[in-house]
Amino acid sequence: MIMAKSILSLVLNNRRRDHAVADNMLLIDYLREVCGLTGTKMGCDGGECGACTVLVDDRPRLSCISLAHSVAGRRVETIEGALSDGRMSRLQRGFHEKLGSQCGYCTPGQIMAAEGLLRRNPNPDDDEIRQGLSGNICRCTGYVKIIESVRSAIEEAAP
Amino acid sequence: MEYMPEFRTARPATMAEAVAIKAAEPGARFLAGGTDLVPNIRRGIVAPPTVIDLAGIAEMRGIEPLAGGLRIGAAVTLAELAAHERVRTAYGGLAQAAGGVAANTHREVATVGGNLCLDTRCVFYNQSEWWRRANDYCLKSKGEVCHVAPKGDHCFAAFSGDLAPALLVIGAEVEIIAPKGSRVVPLGAIYQDDGIDYLLLEADEMIAAVRLPALAEGFRTGYAKSHVRSAIDFPLAGVAVGLRREGKAIAELRIALTGTNSMPLAIEGTEGLTGGPPDEAMLEGLDALIGRQIQPMSSTFSPPGYRRRVVAKLTRSMIRALYLGG
Amino acid sequence: MSEQSVAHPRASAIGAHVPLIDGIEKVTGRADYTADLDHHDALVGRIFRSPHSHARIVRLDVEKALALPGVIAIVTGEDCDVPFGVLPIAQNEYPMARDKVRYRGEPVAAVAAMDEAAAEAALALIDLEVEELPAYYHPDKARAPGAVDLHGDRPGNLERGVHHEFGDVAAGFEAADLVREGIFDCGEVTHVQMEPDASLAEYDAERDRLILHTCTQVPYYVHLHAAQCLGMDTSRIRVVKPHVGGGFGHRSETLNFEIITCILARAARAKVRMKLSREETFLTHRGRPNTRIKVKIGMTKDGRMTACACETIQAGGAYGGYGIVTILYSGALLNAIYDIPAVKFDGYRVYTNTPPCGAMRGHGTVNVRYAFESLLDEMAGELGLDPFEIRRRNLLKAPMETINGLRVESYGLPQCLDWVEQASAWAERRADLPKGKGLGLACSHYVSGAAKPVHWTGEPHAVVNLKLDFDGGVTVMTGAADIGQGSDTVLAQLVGEVLQLEIERVSVIANDSRITPKDNGSYSSRVTFMVGNAAIEAAEKLRGVLCAAAGRKLDAKPEDIECLGEIYRVRGGQDPGLSFKEVVEEALAHEGTITVKGTFTVPRSHQGGRYRGAGVGPSMAYSYAAVAAQVDVDSDTGLVTVEKIWVAHDCGFALNRLACEGQVQGAVWMGLGQALSEEIRYFKGLPLAPNMLDYRVPTIVESPHIEVELIESIDPNGPFGAKEASEGALAAVIPAVANAVTDAIGLRLHETPITPDRVITALVRSARDGRRDKPELGNTG
Ligand SMILES: Cc1cc2nc3c(=O)[nH]c(=O)nc-3n(C[C@H](O)[C@H](O)[C@H](O)COP(=O)(O)OP(=O)(O)OC[C@H]3O[C@@H](n4cnc5c(N)ncnc54)[C@H](O)[C@@H]3O)c2cc1C
Ligand code: SF4
Ligand code: FES
Ligand code: FES
Repeated sequence: MIMAKSILSLVLNNRRRDHAVADNMLLIDYLREVCGLTGTKMGCDGGECGACTVLVDDRPRLSCISLAHSVAGRRVETIEGALSDGRMSRLQRGFHEKLGSQCGYCTPGQIMAAEGLLRRNPNPDDDEIRQGLSGNICRCTGYVKIIESVRSAIEEAAP
Repeated sequence: MEYMPEFRTARPATMAEAVAIKAAEPGARFLAGGTDLVPNIRRGIVAPPTVIDLAGIAEMRGIEPLAGGLRIGAAVTLAELAAHERVRTAYGGLAQAAGGVAANTHREVATVGGNLCLDTRCVFYNQSEWWRRANDYCLKSKGEVCHVAPKGDHCFAAFSGDLAPALLVIGAEVEIIAPKGSRVVPLGAIYQDDGIDYLLLEADEMIAAVRLPALAEGFRTGYAKSHVRSAIDFPLAGVAVGLRREGKAIAELRIALTGTNSMPLAIEGTEGLTGGPPDEAMLEGLDALIGRQIQPMSSTFSPPGYRRRVVAKLTRSMIRALYLGG
Repeated sequence: MSEQSVAHPRASAIGAHVPLIDGIEKVTGRADYTADLDHHDALVGRIFRSPHSHARIVRLDVEKALALPGVIAIVTGEDCDVPFGVLPIAQNEYPMARDKVRYRGEPVAAVAAMDEAAAEAALALIDLEVEELPAYYHPDKARAPGAVDLHGDRPGNLERGVHHEFGDVAAGFEAADLVREGIFDCGEVTHVQMEPDASLAEYDAERDRLILHTCTQVPYYVHLHAAQCLGMDTSRIRVVKPHVGGGFGHRSETLNFEIITCILARAARAKVRMKLSREETFLTHRGRPNTRIKVKIGMTKDGRMTACACETIQAGGAYGGYGIVTILYSGALLNAIYDIPAVKFDGYRVYTNTPPCGAMRGHGTVNVRYAFESLLDEMAGELGLDPFEIRRRNLLKAPMETINGLRVESYGLPQCLDWVEQASAWAERRADLPKGKGLGLACSHYVSGAAKPVHWTGEPHAVVNLKLDFDGGVTVMTGAADIGQGSDTVLAQLVGEVLQLEIERVSVIANDSRITPKDNGSYSSRVTFMVGNAAIEAAEKLRGVLCAAAGRKLDAKPEDIECLGEIYRVRGGQDPGLSFKEVVEEALAHEGTITVKGTFTVPRSHQGGRYRGAGVGPSMAYSYAAVAAQVDVDSDTGLVTVEKIWVAHDCGFALNRLACEGQVQGAVWMGLGQALSEEIRYFKGLPLAPNMLDYRVPTIVESPHIEVELIESIDPNGPFGAKEASEGALAAVIPAVANAVTDAIGLRLHETPITPDRVITALVRSARDGRRDKPELGNTG
């Protein structure tokens, strides 16, 4: 059955997009299947793991339990948009160099949640980092090196 | 792509429009943050033909002063609520409750209205279509029996919202809007202890806002939540306490719970415990009072006996802490 | 980093902190996992699963479903009558059930459709009629007289009984001054690797060929089983492993959905993508079974163990899988950590009507280790011995061979204990801890690769190919499956080390059966040890070729050539030598593109004894770990919070310190989940928590800091002395936490996970019984 679609306009990774999207489409499917941005991952059956975290107007959002149309007119950022000038962001560098990423599956979500945190609070302590990433499950790292990765990104930013 | 049942989304710009749509289509569902509704749709637990997205309704969003207290729009997010300066200082228990819901990312979108109307939860209900079908469904949806109490005809799914008890102890009221007009009722009046029909809202009604009254000088509130993990988990049980002390005596005491029944439960008869300090006799009276009113059932992964006990313990420590802090 | 750069001029040298070579792909979102692969022309695959626990299939009607528009193919048990299973001796699982279903969630049919909606609608129209049979969710019920036999060939549903006795156990208990016995129950746990299961299969009907992309740890086994079940020649199948989002054992055997995707693709004559939900991934399971352990230890007054007897019962689930190996490991690895002169093991692997269990990190050893180390602590207390002391009195002396034929060549456990004792300031800290807090210690060990492969073909245990061509890049070709543990990186490092090259010159191509040599897969912590040794051999051969080329150019004998990576020169000479590029040109001029091969085989001497079951347990090297945990127990809520972990892990030699630390932290933390919060429970065979809400994988908030020390015992057979680094510490964590909880509350729980409700139940019971200070040994459950 073909569902009626309506136009969804938004700014995705700094680029304006207009697509015909069905009302019932999830944001994660819009990103992965319509836009081909497969960096955003699905880890659970809805809202329980954080793997699908993206930023909407600078705030973290679970794309697996958001409808695509809920970001109409908003600014959405995914892991693919984190590069600038082809180079990694400080968080990406931190996660790479400090091994905050092992299998890498939770990583895009972790990095986007951490990005959201640092935009709100540029200098969080370890407890604030834990709170900022509280909805992001990682099964590989035991989180120790995730915290070190975020710390390293914060230190990179410090003058 | 994930399988999603089909539905149409309505995007009203005002509350009046929203309730008009709902009145015309009683099977429709309001969508606020979606952190409860969308997982339930994905699991096939609910399949509304129409979803009424409240995100475009600006009038539902603010926190404003009202008669010495506050008026909190139903679409205010839990992140905003937990961070709000007045809420933190004057209504500490509410800020704690809001800040303890789910995890950071959920609170960015989860709303006050959604939290109050959160569907009741049960291990036999919050499962996929395949799972529930393999288990012959249950009373709450499509089935004939309750797997928790197979002999009865009642659903014991647990109300598990964190905000409601914190609001109950401060005597909050809710503004309800419908096409025929609006009404303001005490929060407790919108609930009943029935896992299926836990909400006493008419099909065309919705919550517009929550009103917090000005609190008596010295009335302190706190909220404690029992959990296994320190984030993400719903409360195994949650305890809100409001307390005012005069000299050595507790002058005023209110207690409300979540996770123990199919509705948030304001404990009745707490007046009988006031007039003295929280000594052992008073606390034993408290245990008995709570014990008589709660009814945790095997609807959650953690056993009911534990939830019963932890509620009593958490209430005791919360009372002591608020008493000493005052 | 700076000290390392002094000691090793190359940033990627062994022993340094080296980020993963595919780390940039992972942090930028460019790493493609199976579900990310191009599937715009693929059909949607979905599985119809049994709603029954145990039933005879009377009728399966898919006609109505097949008639739906958009439905392209439906396959059922009729489409494949060849069973598969990871152990050639125990293959009893069909991709889709045939005569019977044996657990709720078992695949019965599968649909390929144009889109999700059509697939979903088709599933709803499949009609399965059955005759219900009695179902058993607990081993006692499955073993009871008169119980219906799940498989028809295993009376009492006993998949395997193991009865081993080494040394004189009766005499050992006779000689003991103190003999104690305890019963311990461990809840079932599962891997919850973050990537849900997925496969993409493409069938080329013109050529009768199949390409399968799948998220596996064992592409070679998947390849074999796909060929076997589809009746296709192995050469017609190509198996590729993309990036994999964790495994932890879930993917160490061929899984039903992988073969189903292939069968569907062939039936649909198309490309089919199968993406399982998280719930389905839970149903596919293969985790650590619910286990009851009765362990008995005898000891002299001074704490020397004289004998151990252990009985273990595992609820294995409905199919064989790795079951026999799991129960054998449980017994075999009672040995090779302490010096115990006599050990008896009775193991029972039982079929139950639940999703099959299998291998999970620390395969077979974890629950037994929890029981053993708990009882050991208990007995130390009775003898007035410190937990460190009792373990020190029972250490092995390597090299040695255990009573069950395991060869321990390197043994860093003493150093592990020393470090943990110092780092935790054990004695002072323990004395100072307030009420409600406790400290606990435990040790564990694990194999570095099972010495006997599952498929005994006589081939080498590992093969690595290297290619060097005009571009001057060295390409490592391996079948070893990097599932996030970083095996690609360590292979690149090893090759770089031998050739003295920076890692940038080395790239790794892994897991494409068309290109890369076969590998048995990533399980039993075999890759670094076995594939690593093969990589070293290959790199040494390549160095030989290059030295010969340099020798020709420099008029010197190859053995006089010094390889400095980017420069080759005559050792001790004045000549500046040749650049790498010049050497490569000369080598290519001589023989064209260079390919060399390295292999590794575990010698017979390390493959274990000759008794039945002797093949499980032997390894060329064992890792060792000691773990101390500090906990806080809230007496109101029963909530146990782990405040800090100290872990020392003997990994032989840390080839990549960063990766080793990360692996040890991950293993320790996974143990914490089992210790405190994770458990699968069933309601009439339906998992109550097939989701990430009630199956409580710890979050970052309550996860403690884990301080790691890597102990380097330099194993004589390991690659540069290295051993296993990612499983060994897990088993110690659970008893360390349990011992700490006992220290905090003065009584012992005999169950995992130690959830708040279990703590409260234990406290209430003990208060009621008034036996607070005299912990009772025995079963609480
Ligand atoms: C992993 C996870 C963990 C969670 N943990 C917790 C927890 O610890 N504590 C907790 O309390 N909750 C928890 N939740 C549930 C949920 O996130 C919160 O309750 C949240 O506040 C719901 O708000 P929402 O705006 O997202 O609701 P929605 O999902 O948008 O709506 C919930 C329900 O309320 C109705 N509704 C919404 N707004 C109104 C209105 N104004 N008037 C009338 N009806 C309305 C909707 O129709 C729907 O039926 C959790 C959810 C997840 C996925
Ligand atoms: S309490 Fe009973 S009726 Fe209610 S959801 Fe649970 S099983 Fe269903
Ligand atoms: S995919 Fe798990 S929270 Fe979105
Ligand atoms: S790195 Fe594998 S799940 Fe986090």
